[in-house]
Amino acid sequence: MADVRLSGVHKYYGNVHAVRGVDLVINDGEFAVLVGPSGCGKSTLLRTIAGLEDPDQGTIAIGGAVVNDLRPRERNIAMVFQNYALYPYLTVKENIAFGLRARKTPEIELRKRVNEAAEMLGIGGLLERYPRQLSGGQRQRVAIGRAIVRKAELFLFDEPLSNLDAQLRDEMRGEIKRLHHEITTTMIYVTHDQVEAMTLADRIVLLRDGKIEQQGAPLELFERPRTGFVAGFLGSPSINLIPAKLASTDNGISAVFENGGTLALPASRVSSLKGMEGRPILLGIRPQHFSRATGGALREGVMSYPATAELIQPTGTRTLTTIKIGGVDAIAELQAHDVESHGETIELAVDLNRAVLIDPASGEVIS
Amino acid sequence: MMSSPAIETTKPARGRTFGRVLEDHLPYLIIAPAILILLLVGLFPLVYSLIVSFQHITMTENDTSFAGLMNYAELFKDTRLWAALGHTAIITVIALPLELLIGFLMAQLFIDRMPGRQLFVALLVLPTVISPIVAGATWRLMFDVRFGPVGQILSFLAGEPVRILWTVNPAYVYPAIIICEVWQWSPFMFLLLLAALSNVDQSQLEAAELDGASYLRVLRAIILPAIAPVVAVACLIRGLDLVRIFDIIWALTEGGPGSMTETISLYTYIQGFSQFETSYTAAIAFLVIALLTVITTLVLKRMELAR
Repeated sequence: MADVRLSGVHKYYGNVHAVRGVDLVINDGEFAVLVGPSGCGKSTLLRTIAGLEDPDQGTIAIGGAVVNDLRPRERNIAMVFQNYALYPYLTVKENIAFGLRARKTPEIELRKRVNEAAEMLGIGGLLERYPRQLSGGQRQRVAIGRAIVRKAELFLFDEPLSNLDAQLRDEMRGEIKRLHHEITTTMIYVTHDQVEAMTLADRIVLLRDGKIEQQGAPLELFERPRTGFVAGFLGSPSINLIPAKLASTDNGISAVFENGGTLALPASRVSSLKGMEGRPILLGIRPQHFSRATGGALREGVMSYPATAELIQPTGTRTLTTIKIGGVDAIAELQAHDVESHGETIELAVDLNRAVLIDPASGEVIS
Repeated sequence: MMSSPAIETTKPARGRTFGRVLEDHLPYLIIAPAILILLLVGLFPLVYSLIVSFQHITMTENDTSFAGLMNYAELFKDTRLWAALGHTAIITVIALPLELLIGFLMAQLFIDRMPGRQLFVALLVLPTVISPIVAGATWRLMFDVRFGPVGQILSFLAGEPVRILWTVNPAYVYPAIIICEVWQWSPFMFLLLLAALSNVDQSQLEAAELDGASYLRVLRAIILPAIAPVVAVACLIRGLDLVRIFDIIWALTEGGPGSMTETISLYTYIQGFSQFETSYTAAIAFLVIALLTVITTLVLKRMELAR
């Protein structure tokens, strides 16, 4: 068990500055997810922690000890790779036992631990098979088994689910989360999939262009993003960003769209937006914050807005409806039967209490 | 079912047109000349030498009557032939593992990226590019007792004049041949193994590093199984070449001293083109063909099993 501390970590590949000064503390037992678009440096950062890459600057400490000069094998780390990296010429049992044999674990202890790990992952019946005889999901379990059997201080996962099909991915995601509850080792997990990040993480570290854009608990990032990038990256379908201008009205402040439409912002926002009238903004509204107006009185901060359903995509439980708001396309996630056909005009209730206002110049959220 | 009437309409009830026949057989017509030439230069000499091996043709005799298995019976009594096979075996058994080992070590050395890697690889492969007879002639000069650099370097290291008759002294002729052979062909192994090694899955090696496995364990569990097919093919190619070794030895020792370094190819050449025992030479050739076929078949079978 160990905490991980990175300070001022930089990594260059030739002219490419892949990691640009990352400071990060991951607490003992925490499940941290490094997430970001491809090329953001998340895998590089993970490999740097593992010791498979050397940082060009900065220090990495695991369990309080600086490990910069330690080889990967000396860091007591276990890692699960994207392509599983199973040893193809060894049986499942020998794959799992490989690290134990390398560390000269006595045979009795070795057998006990391999069986424990295999039971835990439900691969007890596959021990004598070879990796090529296994399905993708089984291979992934073996890769995880090989990691847990070592009882390492730190677990690293490098996009472990991205080679699996959607159903298996959901299943394995649950298993990895359960695994973390059972063995409570510090885990660092890299993914580009925001759903994995949201569902697995105790702490999300969102990276962009080699820097940490924002980190925190999943819901904290989701509900209080610090930048437009964070707001746009988390959530599915992603947040609608509608260009507008702030304007004062009789009873507060409104967002005025380019096509002249307006939405009045909640009274609670007025004080913080004083003096910003006339400034351009991006109004960020999550698809989930639209609903069909029922005709009754609307809550404080919820505004009605008439819109035409241009495209509807029913998912069964919800219906994703493309509408025009302020002249741009936006997606509203409505109840299954709220809208039935293309071209239907409906009255929407827009919850602006949780809307995000973004400064289009800096990309930062206006608090 | 729906389309069957349509098919029938394209095939008239009776006979096929000339154009149709031509269309069906055109591919064969096109490749026919090439096949004929191949048969002429490949199969005909083989069959013809098989016939000759059952006759009794020498420089002075033109006896084309059937001589039965006389030549083949002669093979078993020919001690110089069996000695030549023995010499061939010695060179193969020593040179092949050496080339494999040196090639593998060089490949390991060059598998990591380093400045000038491409240039070094290109330079190291040069010996393989030149013709073996030139390699042999070059090494004959290298080993020359009066001005050869090998003697000079050894003298320098020893601190006193070292005069070794590399190509004459019975104790040194085999080392000389093997040094030259290994010098020329290790780069071939190096090149194949470099390609094979760079195909070893990087993440498996990284996983093994995190698992704390020793180099020997990684070699045994990951690297060797992964490169085994390439190693097998490389050994087969080089093994066959070594059994047929000729040029290097011809340039260095001409089979001497005496017939001490006479390999099967040299002996066959001498029988055929200086003794002009034409029919007997054909029999030797068939012995070699039979031997190589057996070896190749066995190796290929092993490879199939390993898969």
